Order: sequence, then structure tokens, then C-alpha cells
Amino acid sequence: MSTATVGAPRLLRTSIRHEARSFAPWIGIATVLSASSVLVYPWVFPTQADRDGLATLVGANPAIGLIFGPAFDVSTADGFNAWRTLALGGLLTALGAIFVVTKATRGQEDSGQAELLASGVLGRSSRLLTAVAMGMIMSVMVGLVAALVTLACGGGLEATFLLCATYTATGWMGTGLAAVTSQLGAEARASSSMAVGTFGVLFILRGFAYSVQAPEWTLWINPLAWMTETKPAVENHWWPLFLAVGLTAIMLAVAFVLQARRDFGQGAIAPSPGPARGRARSPLALALSLNRGSLIAWGIGFAVLGVVFGYFTTAITDLLADDEGIAKVLAASAQTPADIFGAFLATILSLVGIICSIACVQMVLRVRKEEMEDRVEPIIATPTTRPRYYGSNVLVALGAAAVFLTIAGVIVASFASGAGIGISFGQALTQALVTVPAVWTIVAIAVLVVGARPKFAIAAWAGVLISFGLTLLGPTFGLDDWVLAISPLYHVPHVATSSYTWGGLAVVTAVGALFAAIGFAGFRRRDLATT
Amino acid sequence: MSENEPVIETRGLVKLFGKFRALDGLDLSVTQGEVHGFLGPNGAGKSTTIRVLLGLLNANGGTVRLLGGDPWKDVVELHKRLAYVPGDVSLWPSMSGGEAIDLLGSLRGGLDDARRAELIERFELDPTKRGRQYSKGNRQKVAIVAALASNAELLVLDEPTSGLDPLMENVFQEVLGEAKDRGATVLLSSHILSEVEILADRLSIIRSGKIVETGTLAQMRGKARTSVHATLARVPAAADLTGLHDVHLNGNTLAATVDAGGIGAAMSALAPYGIDALTVAPPSLESLFLRLYENEDDAAATR
Repeated sequence: MSTATVGAPRLLRTSIRHEARSFAPWIGIATVLSASSVLVYPWVFPTQADRDGLATLVGANPAIGLIFGPAFDVSTADGFNAWRTLALGGLLTALGAIFVVTKATRGQEDSGQAELLASGVLGRSSRLLTAVAMGMIMSVMVGLVAALVTLACGGGLEATFLLCATYTATGWMGTGLAAVTSQLGAEARASSSMAVGTFGVLFILRGFAYSVQAPEWTLWINPLAWMTETKPAVENHWWPLFLAVGLTAIMLAVAFVLQARRDFGQGAIAPSPGPARGRARSPLALALSLNRGSLIAWGIGFAVLGVVFGYFTTAITDLLADDEGIAKVLAASAQTPADIFGAFLATILSLVGIICSIACVQMVLRVRKEEMEDRVEPIIATPTTRPRYYGSNVLVALGAAAVFLTIAGVIVASFASGAGIGISFGQALTQALVTVPAVWTIVAIAVLVVGARPKFAIAAWAGVLISFGLTLLGPTFGLDDWVLAISPLYHVPHVATSSYTWGGLAVVTAVGALFAAIGFAGFRRRDLATT
Repeated sequence: MSENEPVIETRGLVKLFGKFRALDGLDLSVTQGEVHGFLGPNGAGKSTTIRVLLGLLNANGGTVRLLGGDPWKDVVELHKRLAYVPGDVSLWPSMSGGEAIDLLGSLRGGLDDARRAELIERFELDPTKRGRQYSKGNRQKVAIVAALASNAELLVLDEPTSGLDPLMENVFQEVLGEAKDRGATVLLSSHILSEVEILADRLSIIRSGKIVETGTLAQMRGKARTSVHATLARVPAAADLTGLHDVHLNGNTLAATVDAGGIGAAMSALAPYGIDALTVAPPSLESLFLRLYENEDDAAATR
């Protein structure tokens, strides 16, 4: 074993230094998910009656359990957090680990970096060991950061640590799974799809098993259900975590055995041949075909998000409508129920919009990736103009924003209109659609950066971060309105309320158009494929 | 574009990358219908020149005309008339080679389907493989087929045969000859002389961002030196060998080069020492080429 791992520590240090940036989104999202439930809970469910109502509602709707798993006890903030984030936080961490491991193994083999490394003084298992260590370190960081921030936001000590430990443990299992699939797939993408697919099936099976109250053995054969069985904030069982560690160890052992037998750059499963003739014959068709996989995956994701948020809307509006305490608050203030529901709907759809902007910014950044990998050059060497090339990609990104928000909007609207609280299907869908221009403006920042100053590609995320921080965290910090107004989403009119204006959104749209124009001008003028 | 205006003409072209002068007053001229070899060592500025010609990079100084237009401004018009093979072909990882050929071809305004099929056959290319499965040579073939299956009047080829095996290199030479017969103008960049020597009508040699030699093969040969290997009866005195260059004496075996036209004088100088054996090799471009490269090292050493 000693010669097989020569060079691993050095490789790990370098890899962490170069890849740590890619850990950030996973850590950030899981942390916000967990911290926000603790923050939001006392506000949304202030009384015991609300909490009982929530439990009844969750219990009464098996569909919601498919995503979140069972609600053991939602009468405390920690219990609510455990219900809301155990499944999703673990899913995110595992996804992050799968991508990190696959990129550091097969991704590097596909790009040729690994060949340089492997020909150096590096043991046969060092690269896999490094990849596994990165996945595990990232998982630990997700758990640790999420736990500390959640504690700071008021989470209970043991429940929070146990909950966040399940993120880490799930991430470790994802690491083990990806280490195995990395030995099987024909190339990086096939390997990661295999791991994500396996994980997704286990995820849905867990939700299904709990929702239909399947026999107990169906839980114990599903590693993800072990995590649910820790029951943070209710029973606080720590021992199922050891099962996860054991399974990770077994999967890693299998991976190392397979890795020792595998040829460099080859998996156990050969790729299928592609078509001999092509159908993509324009820059737009090319942009669509390159983004096809992520368009489909995100599209499904937004349908799921629509169900989750849509259901959330009905649950809360029901509670608010039935609640005497809320009725008193309403009577004392100038706000009508319609204002509160309208604002709530707008907030929910702003969240969808923020997630949507993540997907779309990725699509814009893809242009830079193509450029740096010398695949824009042959396109621009044809009569295709730069604005046409860039425009096709931007069009796909902006179009995706509209489609994603429409998908989520239709589903949220179906839930909201069925709740009978004065929000019509049309109003809710309109709310989703008016969010689109604000999302476009967030994406336009990426268009500007990639077009005019690609050296600072990381700045393409600025719009997403600003909107995320101000929309979610801003109000809880008591920031002034003019600060909150920096976020484009602040200006989205609440169409289900009694009074709203369009002026702000018009300005936001104009600013977005200006950003995009600067980006296009920059892309036309600058040298290609240089830093 | 008038009949006798060069297809490519640059004057004093300058391109800076930060403080580095990648092109430093480059004058290149390619006339219609010729295959123009564009030679130079690694990092001399060949690809940078080509990228300026394609309008991918904007020059910092000098003038550049391509097919009678400005490559930076008249992108669409010019690119309809040219085809390009990059030196380092990067394909879309999950797109098959056939798809890539059709994409690039249709962006250029359509391919000759019959020639596409013929070229795939001749280059023994499997168009159903995915981009990431191709070896370097096969990726190169994809780009070559995409470029040569079009009817472009100008072919810009940046080290097109890198990674091709000798058989495929022969096929490439044939196919390029056919393109030339159709009347296409070719700018063929390379750092290997032999692949340019066969087809090129004229050559330009670039070093450190400048053209240092340009002319027809015959003109180049005139500038190249003849190499002389002689075994002498006695060890010659150094003073008698001033007309010879690159003299290497090993006992009484001599290796040297002689300027074109200086062979007679060299023979006269060596004859008194008794020539036991003599080989005189004709002037090779290789030697000129290497000399031009070496000068750079000399220049660097004396700097």
C-alpha cells in the first residue's frame, strides 16, 4: 500500500488549493437551507396551534414526504429543521461529493491532466485517494459550517450537530459511490450520471417507503433511510452514522480494487457510438445541444421545486387563514390578508428565481469554458459573427430562465389557487412571470463579465450572491430599504396584493439590458481565448 | 479585390500580449493560387499571425488585408470564403465527429456531401466516435475533413498534420494538392520543413514575430549552404579554411558548410591537403532552416 500512495499528500494539497472554490456552493446552499429553517420557524409558526397544524398537514399529505421524508416532530424549530433539511442537505452534500470525486478522477483523465500526473512519481492509487479525500473533506466542511451557522441562528446543540453530521455522512456515502462509479463509466459524465442516478433512486425510494409506511426492512436496506432514522431533535440516535461510515469503507475498498485493475482512461462500460451525421447546424442549435443535459435536469428540478414550494404555500396560507392570532395582527395593522399572501407568494417565487439564476449563470459561463478549451475559435472562423455566437448562448440562458420559472410557476399556481385564499391561478402564474425580468438582470451580470472582462469570471456570480444575500438574509438583519433595493428581485411587483407599481421592474430591466449590451460590445471587441 | 492583389498581405503587424511582443512588425504576403509555407520554430508567432488573419485577435499595429478585406471588421464576408484547421483541435466531448463536421460545415454555408464522404473514406475516419474518444490525430482528421469538404477559396491550416501518421500525411498531401488544383490558395503553417517542401510554392520563415526569409523554394535553396564532408590526407591549417562555415575537424575528417557559389573556392582550399574522400550534399532547406533557428540562439547568447 505504501508505494501505491506515493505523492498523495502533495497532490491533495495542490488539488484542495485549486478546487476549494468549487466546494463553496454546496457548503453555502446546505448552510442556508439549515440556518433558514431555524430562523424562519418562529416567524411562520409562532404558536403551538400553528405547529400542531403543520404536523397535521404534513402528516395528511404523503406527497410531501416523497421529498422531505417523514416529519417525526415539527413542534420545535430543530425538529422542523430536521424534517425540512435532512433529506435535501444530505442530497446536496452527496451531489457535491460525487462531482468533486468524479472530476478529480475521470474528469482529469478525460482532460489529459491525469496523464501528466500519472507519469510522475505518483503511486497507482494516489489519484483516487486524493479524490476520495477531497470528497470527504468537502462533506466534513458542509456539516461543520452548516452546524456552526445554524447554532448561531438559534439551533439546539445536539440536534443541530447530529443533523449536520447526517449531511457529512451522506456526503461520505456519495464519495464512496462516486469512487466506485468512477471505475465503471466510460468517461467522467457517464460516471457521475451513474452515481447521481443511483443516489436519486435511493432518495425517492426512501421517501416512498416512509410515505406508504412500508415494512421496516425496506428502510434498513436503504442507506439514506439510516440517516432519517437518526431522528435529530426527537431521538437523537448517533449510531446509524456508523453504518454509513462502514458502508463508505466497503465502497471505497471495492473502488480501490477496481481501480487497480482498470486501464487508464477506460471504464468497465464502453460508450455507445454517436450519429455519423449531425443535426445541429447553427450556433443556436449548438448551444441547445451542449446545454441539453442540464436543461432537462434543471427542468425536472424546477418541477420538483414547484411541488415543494407550492405545497409550502398552501400549508402556510391555510395556517394563516385559520389562525386567530394572525387575524388579530392583521386587524391591528394596515395589511390585508391578501397583502401578506401576495408578499409571501412573491418571496417564494423569488427563491425559485434565485435558484433559476444559478442554472442560467452556469450556462453563460459555459461560453468561457468553451472559449478556453479552443472550441469557440473554429466556430468564429466560419461566417458566424461573434454577436450571433454569444447571442445564441445568452438566448438559451435567458430562455431557460423563462421556461424554468414557468414550470415552477404553473405548479406553484396550481397549489396556491387550490388553497382558496384569494390568489387565483392567473395571479400566481403572473407573479412567476414578472420574476423573469429580474432573473434576466441577475444573469445579465454574467453576460457582462464573460463578454467584457472574462478574466474575472468568478464575478459572474455577483448577481446571484447579492440577490441571495439581500433577499434571504437582508430582512433578518434589519437592513434599510435602499440596501435591499440593490437586489433586482426587490423590485418585482407583488401582483397578488392590492397595490403595486411597475416602475422598479422597468428600471431593473433597463439596467439588465445595459449590462448585456456592454457584455456584447466587449465580446465583439476583445481577443478570444486569452486571459 | 483586384486580380493581382495578394490574398493575404500584412505590413508591420504588431501584436502584444501584455509586454510580450508576439508579432513584431510582421510582413507576410501570399498571392492567389499558391501554397504558401509558413515556417518557424515553436513560439515564433505562427498561430498568433493566423489568429489575427482570422479576426480572432485584434492587431496592435500595422495593416492586414485578407481577400481584399479587413479580417477584424469584415468577418462574415471573409469567413464565407475561407476554411480553417486549428493546430490543436478540441472537439465537443459528447458530440460525434460526424456531427462536428456537419456543424462546422453548415456554419460555413454547407459542405460538398460527396467530398465529405470521400474524405472520411480516404482518411479512414470513424465519424460515429464521440469527441473525447478520438486520438489527437483523429481529432485533426475531423477538422481537416470539415475544412477540405468545403469549397473555400482560402485554406488556413495551422500545423494541420500534427498527430497524423505518415500514411495519413500522404493522404493529406494528396488532398491538399487537389485543393490547389481547384484554385484554392493555401497558407500552410508548420515547424517541420519536409511537409511544407513538397507542396509549397513559396515559403516565409518567421522568427520572434518577424519574417526573416521569404521566397520560392529555388530562391531559398540559393541562400542555403552546401554541406561538405571530406577525409584529408593531412590535417589542414585553420587559416586556410576561412571560406568554410561551421567547420568541424576530427583528426583529418572535416565537416563544413559552404555558401552557394563558394564550392570552387572551398575545393581549391582543400585540394593541397590531399582529398581522400569527399561528399558534397546539395543545399538543403533543412540547413537553412536550422541556421535561421540557430541564429536566434546566437543572438540570444550575444545579447
